[in-house]
Amino acid sequence: MMRKLVMLGAVALLAAPAALAYKLVPQGRTASVAKGAIKVTPSINWNRLGARPGRFAESWTLDGLTLNDVTFYGGIPDDTTLFRDSRKREAPLPRFSRTMLAPDVAQLFEGSYRVAIGTPLFRIERVEPATFAGRPGFRFAYRFTVQSEEVERRGEAAGAIIDGRLYLISYEAPTIYYFDRDLANYRAIVASAAVGLVKAAK
Amino acid sequence: MMLRRLVLAIAALSLVAAEDRPPPRVGPDWPVIGAGYQPRDKDERGLWMQVDEAERELKKSNFVVRDPGLNGYVRKVFCRTVGQAECAGIRIYVLRTPYFNAEMAPNGMMLVFSGLFLRTRNEAQLAAVLGHEYIHYAHRHSLRNFRDLKNKTNALAWLSVVPVASYAALAVLSAAQLGLIASIFRYSRAMEAEADAGSVPLLVKAGYDPREASRIWAELRDEQDATALARNRKSRKDRDGGVFGTHPNSAERMAALRALAEAQAPPAATFAGRVEYIAGVGAWWPTFLDDQIKLNDFGGTDFLLSNLARDGWTPELLYARGELYRSRGRADDLTAAAGCYRQAIAAGGAVPAEAWRGLGLVELRAGHTMAGQAALKTYLAKKPDATDRAMLASLAGA
Repeated sequence: MMRKLVMLGAVALLAAPAALAYKLVPQGRTASVAKGAIKVTPSINWNRLGARPGRFAESWTLDGLTLNDVTFYGGIPDDTTLFRDSRKREAPLPRFSRTMLAPDVAQLFEGSYRVAIGTPLFRIERVEPATFAGRPGFRFAYRFTVQSEEVERRGEAAGAIIDGRLYLISYEAPTIYYFDRDLANYRAIVASAAVGLVKAAK
Repeated sequence: MMLRRLVLAIAALSLVAAEDRPPPRVGPDWPVIGAGYQPRDKDERGLWMQVDEAERELKKSNFVVRDPGLNGYVRKVFCRTVGQAECAGIRIYVLRTPYFNAEMAPNGMMLVFSGLFLRTRNEAQLAAVLGHEYIHYAHRHSLRNFRDLKNKTNALAWLSVVPVASYAALAVLSAAQLGLIASIFRYSRAMEAEADAGSVPLLVKAGYDPREASRIWAELRDEQDATALARNRKSRKDRDGGVFGTHPNSAERMAALRALAEAQAPPAATFAGRVEYIAGVGAWWPTFLDDQIKLNDFGGTDFLLSNLARDGWTPELLYARGELYRSRGRADDLTAAAGCYRQAIAAGGAVPAEAWRGLGLVELRAGHTMAGQAALKTYLAKKPDATDRAMLASLAGA
């Protein structure tokens, strides 16, 4: 999401090139994301961004984050923000609560975006039950426009709350051309998602 | 894009250098302008050209609220305030931006942020803000600013040394960004004082109670206190910060406006226009309130809601308060939210169907399955085309 871009710009200024590097995530091989919280097997090659949008998050892209952005939220604990609360004093982000239901999570997502990118043009379009990583979860669709940029983006997110932690994989891209082009590849990632394998292996 | 760079450069400059800026020159070399005015020299033509270009972009923006009802009302109040002839050439754009602000560009383009409509209480207060902005235009404050900046330094040179001062500055920019120009025209304290002083006679002439102007600032201060209190922070009310970067601080401004109004208000000037105001902007309150609630500013939003409810808590306002508590979502908030939704439903009349949705969700979260499911079923019956129907139906056990 755009907040990440802003942060990346700042990181670039501070000259931390290693954090900015992209790493190839090869197709067909199981990848461990968001510090091992989620495992997925992508159907095509993706690029993993070195700089992470939050402690529990990780982003992938094909052509750059403004064109296609898949973000994994791996086990957001109770009373925690989805991504880095970098303007905590003036514009604090809303926090996840373990008691949230699917519509509340969609609203948390919406609120986080609205605050982080400063746009009121964000709406949730559909929320429905869905299986996520073999557990009962949810899926929602959204649409938003970034102020000063005017490009409308569509997004889809799928997730579940497992043992009180939020697991979510979102995808967003410009409505024109890009969203439809890469939607199936995103859905393939979601379909392959497994959670808690690390724990189970112990 | 060139324009953006220029805007950023000048905005960054003004954010950083606001306090050092010399007071503007005021005098006969700065005649007040009116309808049909065209730029006269190179600086002014250049400035207008930039702003004209920005306005062309703005016209296409997704953030412009194009509702004829709201736009018509704002224009009517503006024309009543500044005079029919004077208002003719001014273009007003209402922007969907949930902050309290309005801006006027030198070419006669006025930007009104949607957050303003939750904070002005009546027509006289709206007129005070619009009149204030008009004085900036009539006195060509932005050109004076531009020249002061130009004299002092080479604005473009700043681009290389001041990327953007901080995230906070960047945040202000992006919030105001549609306002593009908005950020350029951060006026000096003296100009703000001049605009305040100039707006009072306009209000008197138009028959509004000029004392309403200072009340806006009193309430803004209280709102800032409320935001800070809920966030466990010190209030920003006595700082020159945020959106009001270079404005005189609100206490100073409030006192000066009150004194001017008391001196100039004819005894009969008591028209505030509360009923007219509600008729003009009330239809947009649910949308603007939703934007405000989603800013995650519990204290400030609760203050605004209580303010709007000064004449009584309507079902819409009770529902909005329920949404506010539900969005913060602490255990006691869920109880408070359920109370608000119940009151909204009990009040009868124009109860938003979403009150049942909110009630259902908080009851389920609190573990009251039966009550929660019943409320969700009611909601789905009232709103069969709800966007989250599939999810809610599943939660309702339907």
